[in-house]
Amino acid sequence: MKDIITIVVRLTVSCLLAASVMGIFFILTSNAKKHNEHVKEQQVMFELLGYKGEAKPPASLGLHEVYRYVITGNDKQSIGFLAPKGGEGHGEGEGFLLVNIDLNGQLIKADPVTLSEKDAIEAEPRKKAVEQAVGPGYEVKFADQTIIVTDNGKRIAYLVGGKFQGFKTFVHVMLAVDPNFTILGLEVLEHEEDPGLGAEIDQDYFKNQFKGKPFEALKAIGVVKAPIPPEYLEALNGKVGEEEILKFREQYKDKDVYALTGATISTKAVADGVKGIVTKFAYRMAVLDKVLKEQQLAVSF
Amino acid sequence: MANDKTSMQLIARGILAENPIFKLALSMCPAVGISTTVMNGFMLGVAVLFVQVFSSMTISIFKNVIHPRIRIPTYTLTIATWVTVIDLVLAAYLPDAYAKMGIFVKIIVAFAIITMRLEMFACKETVKDSFWDALGMGLGFMVGMMVIGFVRELLGSGAVMGYDVLGFKPLLFFILPSAGFFVVGLMMGFFNWIELYYKRKKGVK
Repeated sequence: MKDIITIVVRLTVSCLLAASVMGIFFILTSNAKKHNEHVKEQQVMFELLGYKGEAKPPASLGLHEVYRYVITGNDKQSIGFLAPKGGEGHGEGEGFLLVNIDLNGQLIKADPVTLSEKDAIEAEPRKKAVEQAVGPGYEVKFADQTIIVTDNGKRIAYLVGGKFQGFKTFVHVMLAVDPNFTILGLEVLEHEEDPGLGAEIDQDYFKNQFKGKPFEALKAIGVVKAPIPPEYLEALNGKVGEEEILKFREQYKDKDVYALTGATISTKAVADGVKGIVTKFAYRMAVLDKVLKEQQLAVSF
Repeated sequence: MANDKTSMQLIARGILAENPIFKLALSMCPAVGISTTVMNGFMLGVAVLFVQVFSSMTISIFKNVIHPRIRIPTYTLTIATWVTVIDLVLAAYLPDAYAKMGIFVKIIVAFAIITMRLEMFACKETVKDSFWDALGMGLGFMVGMMVIGFVRELLGSGAVMGYDVLGFKPLLFFILPSAGFFVVGLMMGFFNWIELYYKRKKGVK
């Protein structure tokens, strides 16, 4: 009996010690980590749009964040899109518009939300503002966010983030798609696949297979268990000229993706995940656009 | 049991006489799963080296207060703590290195070699000796992983350190995990053969 008590006490003490060490380090490093992630996200966003390294994005380029919330209350569910307000006299801190759409795609109401751009980046103040706009009695849950990229007021691309189940745990990705939902680029932000096998999903030759896949082909995308033809592999690695790459992209655009050696499950997870993200996003975007057009709501994109 | 070896002998023992992969045959899962390239082997080696050194020293400091009945859970806890701390620090201050090493650091918790070194050495010896022993074992693991990685990379993808040297891929089989066992087995045989050779030579003299 005495032994049990000693063991319990000592194990508890060691666990508490370990927990406090981890906690202290977590607190010490969390700010720097967040900052790094933010910087990386920005970098990934511009890289996906094709502004790599030296190439600076032009001033006419606009990034408009749209946040999606699930609003529950009174036994009903609806989707709230928080979009930056647009129209005449475009300026800083103009605020947002919360477009509340029911599940059948009909507008419930659209409320202006006062929220500075700085606050909008932070999850907590943003959620508070949305809760206030919806009114009491409703529960608001953040779903995801999308960035709509415009050039001189014309939409050129969407940046969609998402996660899906990989071989071991969730794989976080960011996708760039053009207004027709053709994939412009895929970037793996975070994953824990096995090194040497599934971890190859963050290699260029794998990610580039998705580039240029049209929406129609993506809807039926599958995985081929075969080695990548050598010429295609060179093109995917960017070892040949630009024209050559485009030629291969055209040739393979309706084909399935090639599985990674020894990591068919990871490959399939990515293919299905990307398919899921884009199809859902396309549907949501269509609903939002329809409502915005019907109701003549002015948003910044 | 006092340790009568010098620091250099401890390091040399970790790399040669008691190499974790070729002699002790510990931590085989990562050895066969991850060592597909020299770079992967090196990354995992560095990660193990750090965790091994920190855990060994921690256990050596606290060796007198650890209850013998719960030593294994305590070891695991120590290793997990250090893995988490290294993961957090890397992510915060060395984001570039973290992008490459992050996945390697996270899988270390369950490595047999680290627990075994804590049990065999660190819980009996001084902090200084534990440090050298951990360094030797970590380096031994790193060298082993890199050697296996070299063979597998060369035979599997015809490259060394990511540079294409052969221009073709001799045997794709060597990239797959099962080939890791073949390479480890052949390497073990090779190392034992060298040892036997030297022992025999000495015997003749």
